[in-house]
Amino acid sequence: MRRNASAILILTLVVAVMIFAGVRSSRGPKVSPMLGSTKPLIYGEVKGKEAPDFVLHDLEGKQVKLSDFRGKAVLLNFWATWCGPCKVEMPWFVEMQKQYGPQGLQIIGVALDDSGKEAIQKFAKEMGVNYTILQGHDAVGDAYGAVGLPTTYFIDRGGKIIDSDSGLVSRSEIEENVKKALSDGKAEAETARSKTKIAS
Amino acid sequence: MKTTFAIVVIACLQLFAADEPKSSRAYVSFEGATPVTVSPGKPTPVALRFKVKQGFHINSNQPKSELLIPTTLKLDVPTDLAAGTISYPPGKDVSFPFDPSEKLNVYSDDFTVKAKMSVAKMASTGNFTVHGQLNYQACSDNACFPPKEIPIRFDVHVQNQPGRTHGRTPQSPHIK
Repeated sequence: MRRNASAILILTLVVAVMIFAGVRSSRGPKVSPMLGSTKPLIYGEVKGKEAPDFVLHDLEGKQVKLSDFRGKAVLLNFWATWCGPCKVEMPWFVEMQKQYGPQGLQIIGVALDDSGKEAIQKFAKEMGVNYTILQGHDAVGDAYGAVGLPTTYFIDRGGKIIDSDSGLVSRSEIEENVKKALSDGKAEAETARSKTKIAS
Repeated sequence: MKTTFAIVVIACLQLFAADEPKSSRAYVSFEGATPVTVSPGKPTPVALRFKVKQGFHINSNQPKSELLIPTTLKLDVPTDLAAGTISYPPGKDVSFPFDPSEKLNVYSDDFTVKAKMSVAKMASTGNFTVHGQLNYQACSDNACFPPKEIPIRFDVHVQNQPGRTHGRTPQSPHIK
C-alpha cells in the first residue's frame, strides 16, 4: 500500500516536471537575452534603479549589449510595427538623435514584434530611422516591466533609469527627460571609465 | 503521505503560477452565442457576441494596413460538425488622438461574429460542444498591447431524423 503511494507520488512529480518543461519550451527560445541576475522591474518603481543589461541583435545581425553604451545617455524605447502610437514618436526620435546625438544621446528602439527582421527593417527604413533598432525578446520587456507600447526608459550615463513613460506622451515631456538623462550620471560614468582604464 | 502529496501539488501549482506571463489582462470578453439547432443539409449560422472593454479598441478583421493584426476567429468543431464561412462585422473607421490624420478600422463596444454550422448526414441527435478562440490586438487612446486570444465555447444542438440518438457526444479539443 505504502509502496503504491510512493509510486503515485513519484509519477505525479515526473508528470508535473514534464508538463512544466513542455510549457516553458513552447514559450520561445531558451536562451535569455538578459545579462546578470537582476529582478524584473515593476513599472512605476523604476526611478533610480540600475537598467537591466541585455544582449540583442540589431537589424544587421550584430550583437548589441546595453552596457556597451555606458557613458552615453540612452533612450530605450519598446515598440512594435503594429503599434499606432509608437509610429507617432519615431520622427521625434529621429530628430532627437540628430540634435542630441553629438552630446552623447543614443536612442535604442527594441521591436517587440513577431513580424520578422525584414518587416521591421522595411518599417524602420520607411520611417527614416537613424538610431539603433534591435530585434526584441519578451524577456527584455518583462525585465523592464513594460506592459503596453510604447514604453520608454531614460537611462543616464551611469546606467541608472532616471524616468520612464508608458504610452504616448508629448514630445516636450520626452525631450525634458532626454536632457535630464544627458546631464545625470556623468560622475558615475567617469568613475566607471577610470576603473576600466586602471584594470586594463 | 497525504500531506506530502498536498505539498507537492501546491508546489507544482505555484511553479506554474510563477511562470505565467504577468500581463493576463483581457480587453475583450466572450458574451455567449445564440442557441443554434442544426439539421443535415441545412447550414445554420451561429452568432457569437463579444464585448470590447471600455476605453479600448481592437482592429477589425480587415484593418487598413498590413502591419496591423486583424481580429480572427478559429473554431475547432467535433467530428460530425463543420464550420463554414465565418462572417465578421464591418469595423468602424475611427481616428484616434495619437494620430488624428489616420483612420483605423476597428471594433469597440459590442460586436458579433457569425459562423455557419453544418452537420454530417449520419450525425446523431444531441448537443455538441464547439471550442475555439478569438485572436485580437487591443489599443487604448495612447498605447497598444500585445496580441491576445480568448477561448470561446458554445453548444450546437443537432436535430436529425426522429428516433436517432447517440450515447456519446464527440467533443472538440480545446484550442491552445
